[in-house]
Amino acid sequence: MVHVLKREFIESFRSVRSALIILFLTLVAYYSSRFFQNNQVLINQFLSGENTVSIEDVYATAISFIIMAFGSLFVFSISHDIVNSETESRTIRLLVTKISRGQILLGKLLGVILFWWAVITISYIVIFAISGSWSINFYTQTLVLLFYFISFTMLISTIISKTKLSMFFGIMLGIALPVLNVAAIEIDKWYLIPAKYLLPFYYNDQLAMSFVPLIIGTAFFILSVFIIKRRDL
Amino acid sequence: MENIVQVENLKKEYSNTAVLKGINLTVNKGEVFGFVGHNGAGKSTLIHILTGIVNKTSGSFTIFDTPDNELNTVKRKMGVMPDITNLYHHMKGYNFLKYMGELTEDKRSKAGYTELLKKVGLEGAEDQKIKSYSFGMKKKISIAQALLGDPELIILDEPTSGLDPESAIYIRNLISELQKSGKTIFLTSHNLDEIERISDRVGILSNGVIKKFGTPEELKKVEEGSNIGFSVRTIPLLTTEKIEELRALYQLNIIFGEGRQTSSRLIVKSEEDIPKITKAIVDSGLSLYEVKIDEKSLEDVFMNA
Repeated sequence: MVHVLKREFIESFRSVRSALIILFLTLVAYYSSRFFQNNQVLINQFLSGENTVSIEDVYATAISFIIMAFGSLFVFSISHDIVNSETESRTIRLLVTKISRGQILLGKLLGVILFWWAVITISYIVIFAISGSWSINFYTQTLVLLFYFISFTMLISTIISKTKLSMFFGIMLGIALPVLNVAAIEIDKWYLIPAKYLLPFYYNDQLAMSFVPLIIGTAFFILSVFIIKRRDL
Repeated sequence: MENIVQVENLKKEYSNTAVLKGINLTVNKGEVFGFVGHNGAGKSTLIHILTGIVNKTSGSFTIFDTPDNELNTVKRKMGVMPDITNLYHHMKGYNFLKYMGELTEDKRSKAGYTELLKKVGLEGAEDQKIKSYSFGMKKKISIAQALLGDPELIILDEPTSGLDPESAIYIRNLISELQKSGKTIFLTSHNLDEIERISDRVGILSNGVIKKFGTPEELKKVEEGSNIGFSVRTIPLLTTEKIEELRALYQLNIIFGEGRQTSSRLIVKSEEDIPKITKAIVDSGLSLYEVKIDEKSLEDVFMNA
C-alpha cells in the first residue's frame, strides 16, 4: 500500500500541473487577498456580518474561498482518473496479483490526498512568507474540504470506467457542486435537503461539525472499495 | 502429494453466459501443470479467478490450503505473468521491476534487478522504456516480474506465444530450471508440442469443462474402443485389391485398407488384429519390411476433447 501511495504522490508531483496549481493558487490568493484587504467591508458583507474575517486571516480566507469555489473543479478535473486510469489500461490486473484491491485504493487515495495537501501547504507557506499570517482554522478547513473532494473523485473514478467520461463528468460536477451546495444551504426546499447535508459547505462554519465531511469522505472511500471488490477487472 | 492449488466445481458466468461450467483440478507441489484449450475456452478466465483479477460465480478453490476468500494472504507466495498489455508501458524496465518488487517486498539491490533481467534474457534493457520493447521483450519482462519475491507458485499465461523459436526455447529452459529449483508452475499454452514436452500433467479445457486430465502419456494412451491406424511397407506393394482378398481369405477385421504408392494404410479395431494381418501378409508371399503404428499426439487428444 505504501508503495502505491509513494508512486501516486511522486507521479502527481512530476507533472507540470502541480507547479501550475501551486502558482495559480498562490497568485490568486495573493491578489484576491490584496483586493479584499483594501476592501475588507466587501468580504465581511459577503460573509453576512456574523462571520467577519480579521485582517490577519484575509489571505488564508482567500485560499479557503478558492478551494470552496474551485477546489472540486481542480480535484475532479485533475484527479478524475485516480482509479479508472489503472482499470482502463488494465495495469490494475498486475497490481491485484500482488496486493489487495482495498490496499490499492487506500494507497491511491492517500497518495492523492498527500499531493493536494502538499500543494495547499506550499501555497500557505508562500502566503505566510508574504503576509506573516497563518490561520489554522482555515488551513484545517481547506484540508478537510480537499479530503472530501478527493474521496468523491475516487468514487466517481471507480464507478465510471472510462477516463474520458470521468473527465467530462468530473468537470460538470466540479462546476455544479459548489453552486448546488450554496443553493442547498440558502434555499429552503425539501429536495435540496440531501445536498445540504451530504455536501461539505454546510459544516464549514460549525466548528463542532467540521469533522462531518471527513466521515462522508470516508464513506465514499468505503463505497469505492466495495464497488471495486465486486468488479471483474 | 501436497496440493498447491485445488479447484472444486468452479463456475463463472458473464451476463448469463457460462464460461466455466464446473472446473475441478489439482496442481501438485513441484510440478509443471499445463493447461490447454481452444481460444475462448476459459483458460485465461480460470487464471484470472485464481489470481484475484476476476470474481468467481460459484464453487471454491484453495491455494496453499488457503480458501479463495483469503487469497490476499498468499499473494506473496504467487508470481503471476498476466497478458503483456497489462504492463506499465511508460516506465523503464528497471523502474517497472523495482515498483513490482516493492509491492512484493522483494529487497534486492539494483544489481539484483539487473541479474533478474539477465536471467530472462533482457540484459541491457533496464534503461529502455517498456513501450520501446519488442513483443518478445515484453513477454520476458512480464515473466521477470512474476519471479519477484521468490514465489513458490508461478502462474504463466501463454509465456511463449508469439515468440521467435530461439526465445521460446529460452523461456522453456527457464521454466524447466524453475521447476528444478522446486517451484510449482501452472501455465497455459496453445503450443501442444511445448505443453507435452515440459508439463508433468495436462488439463484440456473445452467449452468450460475439463475434458481430459492426466500426464501426457496417459492422455495419449489409446483409449479402449478406439480404432488403430498403421501402415505397412511390403514388396511387392500390398494393393487395395490384395487387402480385400486377404480380408476375405483370413477373415480379418480390417475397417479400412488402401494400397498407396510406397506403403499401404490400414485401420483396425484392436491391437490384436495387427499380428493376424502381418501373418496373413507374410503367408500370402509378400515380403514385409515395415509396420508403423500411428502414434497418438497430444494434438489428437486435444482435437477429440
